[in-house]
Amino acid sequence: MATINLVDLKKSYGNVPAVKGVNLSVADGELIVLVGPSGCGKSTLLRMVAGLESVTSGHIEIAGRDVVKAEPAERDIAMVFQNYALYPHMTVRGNLEYGLKNRGTPRTEIDRRVNEAADILEIGQLLDRKPRQLSGGQRQRVAMGRAIVREPAAFLFDEPLSNLDAKLRVQMRVEIRKLQRRLKTTSLYVTHDQLEAMTLADRLVVMNGGLVEQIGTPTEVYDHPATLFVAGFIGSPPMNLIPTSALGTDGANGLPAGTDIVGVRPDALLIQRPEGPCIALEATADLLEPIGGESHLHVKLEGSGQAIILSVPGRPDIAESAHLTIYARPSELHPFSSQTGRRTDTVAKS
Amino acid sequence: MVENRPWLSFITHLVLIVGVVIVVFPVYLAFVASTHGSGDFLRGLVPLLPGPYLIENYGRMLTEGISTAGAPPLWIMLSNSLIIAIIIAVGKIVISLLSAYAIVFFKFPLRMVAFWIIFITLMLPVEVRIIPTFAVVANLGLLNSYVGLTLPLIASATATFLFRQFFLTIPDELMEAARVDGAGPMKFFRDILLPLSRTNIAALFVILFIYGWVQYLWPLLVTTESRYYTVVMGIKRLAATADTEPLWHLVMASVILAMLPPVLVVIFMQRLFVKGLVETEK
Repeated sequence: MATINLVDLKKSYGNVPAVKGVNLSVADGELIVLVGPSGCGKSTLLRMVAGLESVTSGHIEIAGRDVVKAEPAERDIAMVFQNYALYPHMTVRGNLEYGLKNRGTPRTEIDRRVNEAADILEIGQLLDRKPRQLSGGQRQRVAMGRAIVREPAAFLFDEPLSNLDAKLRVQMRVEIRKLQRRLKTTSLYVTHDQLEAMTLADRLVVMNGGLVEQIGTPTEVYDHPATLFVAGFIGSPPMNLIPTSALGTDGANGLPAGTDIVGVRPDALLIQRPEGPCIALEATADLLEPIGGESHLHVKLEGSGQAIILSVPGRPDIAESAHLTIYARPSELHPFSSQTGRRTDTVAKS
Repeated sequence: MVENRPWLSFITHLVLIVGVVIVVFPVYLAFVASTHGSGDFLRGLVPLLPGPYLIENYGRMLTEGISTAGAPPLWIMLSNSLIIAIIIAVGKIVISLLSAYAIVFFKFPLRMVAFWIIFITLMLPVEVRIIPTFAVVANLGLLNSYVGLTLPLIASATATFLFRQFFLTIPDELMEAARVDGAGPMKFFRDILLPLSRTNIAALFVILFIYGWVQYLWPLLVTTESRYYTVVMGIKRLAATADTEPLWHLVMASVILAMLPPVLVVIFMQRLFVKGLVETEK
C-alpha cells in the first residue's frame, strides 16, 4: 500500500529522448493505466519505476521514499511481464517462492503466502507443474501469483494480456480488475489497447512521444479529450476530426476563437434530425459495415470530400452513393486548434 | 518422410549396413587380436574369432605394462588420461560459462573487444602455438605435472562462443524478473542460468572430454616421467618397438581399454542430454 510520485522524470538513450518529463501522482490503492501507441515511452516509464532502466533526470518516490538509486528488489514492487518471464526449470511453487526465499522470509510465512495466492488465483492444483505444462492463461495467473506473494507496495503490469487470445484477454482483464480491487494495491498498468485501458483504469494516462497528453478518469478522457491526439486515440471507431472549413458557415458558428478542427464521436452523428438545435451536413454514403447491433457508416461530406464515420444503431437501409444529411448537436462538438493541438473551449480537467 | 518404395528402403539399408561394417570391422578386429596369444597375428592368417587369452592379456596390460617399451602399467596411464580429460572438460566449461556470462549479461568497457579476442583464439589451437606455450610451461616449472598437462588446453573459445549463443536466446525478462525477485548477479547465474544450461553443459562435456582424452602431441611434449604418461601416447610407445615385432595382442588390448571410457561417457551423457532436450522444450 503506497503512493507513487513521479517528478519531472526524463529518460534519454544517448541523444534520443524517450521520456521527456513526466509528472504523475498515484494515490494509494489506485490503478493507473498508461496507454499510448508503440514507442510513446509508456513501457520505458514503467521500467524506470521498476528500476530496470536508469533515470536520466527527475525523481521517483514510492511510499514517500526516493528510489531512483535503489535496486529493483529494494523498491518493494512486483512486476508482471508481457511474456510472463516464469523460470522454466522451476515448478509453479518454486516460481512463487523464489523472491520470498531470496529475502529470507521464514518457511511458514512462505507457505502461508503461496497457499493464499494459489487460492485467490485458483492455481492450487498446478503448484507442482512446470511452466511449460501450463496454458497461456494459467501462466498468466502464475505470473500474477508471483507478484501477489511478495505483498509489495505496488504492482507494475507491462502489457500482461497481449500474449493471450481475445476471449481469454477479456476474462483476465476482469480478473485483474477484481483482484486489484480486493487487494487494494497501488498499480501501474501499461497497455496499448485502449479498450483494456478504458475498462481497467481508475485513471488513465494517455502518452504520446514521451509526453503525457492527458491524465483523467476514463470518462473524462473520453468525454473531454484534452488534445487532438487523445481525441483520435481513445474511442473506436476513432473520433471524426473535421476541419471547420468543411462544416460551412452554419456549423462553424459559435465555436471558440482559434478553433479550426472539430471533433465528433461517430455515435454523436445522427442520420435523423434530433430535437433542439443542431447542425446539418450534406454527405454521400460510401460504405455500410454492419457489425451486429450497430453499423459503421462511412460517408464523404459534399463539397470538401472529408471522410467521416458514423456509428448508427441497427442496420439502416442506405444504398451506396446515396445522398443523405447527417446531424450533430452543438454540445457534442469538441473544438480544437490544429496549431496548439489542444482544446479551445474550457480547459479539460487533468 | 514416409515413402512406400521397397527398393528404396532396401538400398538405404544396404548403404547403412555397409557403412556400419566399415566402421565397426576394424574395432572388432582389434578386439579379436586382443584375445589371442603373442604369435597368432604374425602368421599371415588373421583369425576372425576371439581367442582364449582375453583375461591374461588384459590383466597383464593393466597391472604390469610392457617395461621394455618404456610403458608403465595401463591403469596408471588410464587414470592419468581420465584425470586430464576431466580437468580439461570441467575447466573449459567453468571458464567459458563465466566468460560467456560476463560478455552477454554485463555491460563493461571493451566488452566486444574482449569477445573478439576470445574468438580470435579459435585460430590458435595448441599445435600452432606449441613452441611458445611449451616455453612458458617449461619456465613456470610445470613440466611433468597435471597443471602443465591441462592448463594450456583449458582456455576455450568454442565453448565460450556456444554458451554466448545460448545465453543470447534467454529472454531479458527472465533476468529482470530475477532482479525484481532480489537475485543478485551470482544468484541469477546459479539459480536460473546454470539449470537452464544443463543440456548444453552435458553436450559440451562429452565433446570436451573426448577432446581431452585424445590429446597426443601436448602430453608427449611436456611429460618425461612415465607416471604422467597418458594412454594415447602410451599406445604409440607400445607400438613403436625398435628391434622386435610389436606385441600386437597387447597393443590391441590397450587400444580397446583406451576406447572404453569415451564410449561410456558418450552413452551415459547421451541419456542425460536427450532427457534434457526433451524437458526444456519451450
